[in-house]
Amino acid sequence: MYKAEVRGPLILGNKDYHQITSDIIAPIDNKTPGWWKAAMGVSSIMAVIGIFSMVYTVRYGLGVWGVNNSVAWGWEIINFVWWIGIGHAGTAFSIFLLILRQKWRTSINRAAEAMTVFAVGCAAVFPAIHMGRVWLAFFIFPYPNTRGPLWVNFNSPLFWDFIAISAYLLISASFWYFGMVPDFASIRDRAKTKLKKGIYGFLSFGWTGSTKEWLRYEGLSYVLGGIAAVLVVSVHSIVSTDFASSVVPGWHTTLFPPYFVVGAIFSGFAMVMTLMIIIRKYYHLEDYVTDSHLNAIAKILVFISLIMGTAYTTEVFIAWYSGNPYEMFTFFHNRITGDYTFMFWAMIICNAIIPQVMWSKKVRSNITALFIISLIINVGMWYERFNIVITSLSKDYLPSAWTTYSPTLIEVGIFIGTIGLFTAGVLSFFRFLPMIAISEVKSVLKPTEITEKH
Amino acid sequence: MNTTHLIGVFDSKSELLSGIEGVKNKNFTIDEIYTPYPVMEAIDALGRKSRFSTAAFIYGAAAVVGVLSFLYWTSVIDWPINYGGKPTNAFPSFIIITLVLTILTVTILSLFTFSVRARIYPGKKPFLPDERATDDKFIILFDKNTAGAGFEAISSALKASGASEVYEKEF
Repeated sequence: MYKAEVRGPLILGNKDYHQITSDIIAPIDNKTPGWWKAAMGVSSIMAVIGIFSMVYTVRYGLGVWGVNNSVAWGWEIINFVWWIGIGHAGTAFSIFLLILRQKWRTSINRAAEAMTVFAVGCAAVFPAIHMGRVWLAFFIFPYPNTRGPLWVNFNSPLFWDFIAISAYLLISASFWYFGMVPDFASIRDRAKTKLKKGIYGFLSFGWTGSTKEWLRYEGLSYVLGGIAAVLVVSVHSIVSTDFASSVVPGWHTTLFPPYFVVGAIFSGFAMVMTLMIIIRKYYHLEDYVTDSHLNAIAKILVFISLIMGTAYTTEVFIAWYSGNPYEMFTFFHNRITGDYTFMFWAMIICNAIIPQVMWSKKVRSNITALFIISLIINVGMWYERFNIVITSLSKDYLPSAWTTYSPTLIEVGIFIGTIGLFTAGVLSFFRFLPMIAISEVKSVLKPTEITEKH
Repeated sequence: MNTTHLIGVFDSKSELLSGIEGVKNKNFTIDEIYTPYPVMEAIDALGRKSRFSTAAFIYGAAAVVGVLSFLYWTSVIDWPINYGGKPTNAFPSFIIITLVLTILTVTILSLFTFSVRARIYPGKKPFLPDERATDDKFIILFDKNTAGAGFEAISSALKASGASEVYEKEF
């Protein structure tokens, strides 16, 4: 029979099961490293800047932002879409690759899910403060109220978005937590101190690893995997309808849902690559997150980059082909040329051109190059959202309403704050939770590797 | 009341499987098997079956009906709003909310079902015959009252099929 080695071994270094447990739990058992404390310090300062900016916004109103009547959605919506995009990696990695039976996901899915939860949390901050009166944010919940009872508008994409994001956050968080239960039990049973045993014992829900538990665990993970796979496509499609269902030039297009979904997976995978390289380097987990894993992510990225390039070209083509003067103006005079030229070309270069260097095997095996490219992609994806949100709003049908937009320090501060909250969350995850799914990694350890040892 | 249990410890999945086969051939009844990761063959050997997908389907069907009825009630019966003469029963725009809330309902109810059926809940004290089962050992447990033979016979069968350790414990 034809047999080809498509991918190298998933775990290197001839590990046995005990070694796997020890290696992955080591960061929880060991003393907190100095770099971690420094990174946490910087993240906390950033988070404080963000919280100050949010409080300032709530205290003085949206006038402290650079938004105006024409460009009513500024950095806040750019950042919202950007964070949601990054938060797509969790479902894409753990659920899509789970139902596609891709075993190389086992070393990466836990970190991707953690990242999802923190990224979606950061994203949720923006629409909430954008409402202006954040203390009335609960009006968006459809519950029998004393205001009529006036129901929310179920036909509005903005409401769909609220439902989609809240559901996504809840579902990703439960999927993440439930995946960690068996690993919490491993930590509990190895814990030396009473406190640690108590905490991880509580978190492990009394897990023992009996067949009765594993049977339901497998059942649950396939049911959740099957049903939540829809979320990979639905969440960002719904975000795109916030734009596509309007009549603003540059937004009113049926290309938007797939374009947004693919873009989201693109930035999510890039962020996963960034994180996995950090985990590998600083926690010496090279045997689990192997070159072969990074190679696989790089191949996916280069493929998605081609789709992104096609989407950008299609948008421009359709603007010309439709013969619609407003679409033509938006794309040719307000994106390719015009006030926001830099953002347009930054998007093209970062997302569609630079990732193409990953066709070369040499680049795919150069960790520094991959790290830099993964960061460039996320910068590029931010510029993509800038292009979509700002250019279309700044110059639409009425020239007397044309304006430009630049953010104020407060808006920049909120963005910095969410980056700080995100990194603080990820760092806590590195320190206190199992970064790699221990039981899943054990299940992909080749039987030959074990028998050789005996 | 405490019962005596016999515990067979195996070092790998393949040895565990030959151990299961060894004791099953002699018609000994296994009480439970503990593994560090899911071993489908062990689950099958104990004849355990799960109706999880059926339960999830029922939750999903109920959620679809529930959400659509709620949307119909709010938009058509309780507080109809005239959006430029468009129909109040705007079914196409209900689809997305129905889809997302169905997924959410199935997820939450499935988690509860998991908790109930696998008896896993916050603060539960683990009942684990050998703590190494969550690390690197595969454990087969026999109950003296239900094993179907004396412990000595089972013990020698386990050892013959590759158990690295066999011992008795009372709990």
